[in-house]
Amino acid sequence: MSLLNVENLRVRFPTDHGEVEVVKGLSFSLGRERLGIVGESGSGKSMTGRALMGLINRPGKVSADRLEFDGIDLRNLPERAFRRLRGARMSMVMQDPKFSLNPVIRIGEQIGEALQFHRRMPARARRQAVLDVLEAVRINDPERVYRLYPHEVSGGMGQRVMIAMMVVLEPDLMIADEPTSALDVSVRATVLEILDDLVRRRGMGLLLISHDLDMVARWCDRILVMYAGRVVEECAAGKLHEATHPYTRGLLASVPRLNETRHRLPVLDRAMIGAGT
Amino acid sequence: MIDIQNLTVTYGGTPVVQGVSFQVGAGESFALVGESGSGKSTILKAIAGQAPHWTGVIAIGGQPLQRRRDAAFLRRVQMVFQDPYGSLHPRRTVDDTLSEPLVIHRLKDRDARVLAMLDAVGLSRRFRFRLPHQLSGGQRQRVAIARALMLEPEVLLLDEPTSALDVSVQAEILNLLADLRAERKLTYLMVTHDLPIVSFLCDRLGVLRLGRLEETAEAASLRRAQLSSAYGQELVARSGAEG
Repeated sequence: MSLLNVENLRVRFPTDHGEVEVVKGLSFSLGRERLGIVGESGSGKSMTGRALMGLINRPGKVSADRLEFDGIDLRNLPERAFRRLRGARMSMVMQDPKFSLNPVIRIGEQIGEALQFHRRMPARARRQAVLDVLEAVRINDPERVYRLYPHEVSGGMGQRVMIAMMVVLEPDLMIADEPTSALDVSVRATVLEILDDLVRRRGMGLLLISHDLDMVARWCDRILVMYAGRVVEECAAGKLHEATHPYTRGLLASVPRLNETRHRLPVLDRAMIGAGT
Repeated sequence: MIDIQNLTVTYGGTPVVQGVSFQVGAGESFALVGESGSGKSTILKAIAGQAPHWTGVIAIGGQPLQRRRDAAFLRRVQMVFQDPYGSLHPRRTVDDTLSEPLVIHRLKDRDARVLAMLDAVGLSRRFRFRLPHQLSGGQRQRVAIARALMLEPEVLLLDEPTSALDVSVQAEILNLLADLRAERKLTYLMVTHDLPIVSFLCDRLGVLRLGRLEETAEAASLRRAQLSSAYGQELVARSGAEG
């Protein structure tokens, strides 16, 4: 059975010039697999992730014909019930650890907070669970990191702390929105490996949202390519280079290669794509 | 055009660039690559005069730089920053931003120069009186490049000029930089962590690690994935793994 079923998901925001639809009828299902959503700024990929987590606040509006997580209808789910799901059964890793961690709470206590909210356990067991999860995200000296404040760790370490916080309750679904774009190239691969390892070992479903085609192709099983609020292409990750939609092809062609010999990079013809979708 | 000899830069007593030497010829495009903390941006800052504590020699066009950067230097060397969202004044129109260097340097024909520059960087003239928030990221970076070119410099210092942009927009800006260099015989010194961009835009590169220059190489060697230092090869391998 699929973990997540989405049919005709729409996200709208009112503006001065009337309502703008940023996600225009998205449908997909996700099992215990790794699904990538790629697209550029404004394609609606992040809004899709936020809608699934119930994080689109008024005046934004979310509607769908079907929006189910493990058989639970997420449409009109009361906020109280959503809070029970978030963190415990579905969680989200945000882009930048600098802005997503509370700067005045020690790292260990921040991770422990989720445990405290969702699960009653003695303080000592909670502390041990936090140390275990820090170790699971390959932090070598969890005792020391437990006591640090977020500004005392590097970006890569901060992102591992974020991941630790998200997996401490062993959720079924993990949404990672640009989990590496704020990080240095040298630590990106490490963070993705950790994420991948957790997904495989714990049998989570992963929704990886990114603008980076190659990264998504490498770390996911399936890919949805979004453009202007719609899915323009769906394919197996290994077959991305056989993509047929002009937008996907244009994106692939516009990335410089290490063995680059072209003197000009092809540029997307947005007018043509607009007509095509 | 750019001659760096034994450059050491310190921040609060800690050396972040140590004994770096390299030359960039006139009309050449040279890249400095490395991870965060390798000192690559610091070298650009030292040249631009934003890192006060440096020793060694920095010479532009044969003239060694003094502590202060004078107006003549700024006519020759200009910089484009990473983030077009942060590097443009939010309450100044495109016209203000492009005219300011002309006012400071007391140049005439401001109107004609601004219009010519908008054409040169591929921005429609109707954007002239817009504010930065009314522009997309790619359009803003075009404005930032236009601003740097207003004084018709010979050298552009480029600090990760496309890393804040979408890939399709990145392609447009990279094409623009390649075209401008060919048209205006510009010398580029670019900092980036993205090796394929070096393959596209540069002739040579220097690999930095922990403030030291590990090697300099031809971009042709990079395209064949044949750098000589172990660290250079590690960067190439990682770039392949990233995709």
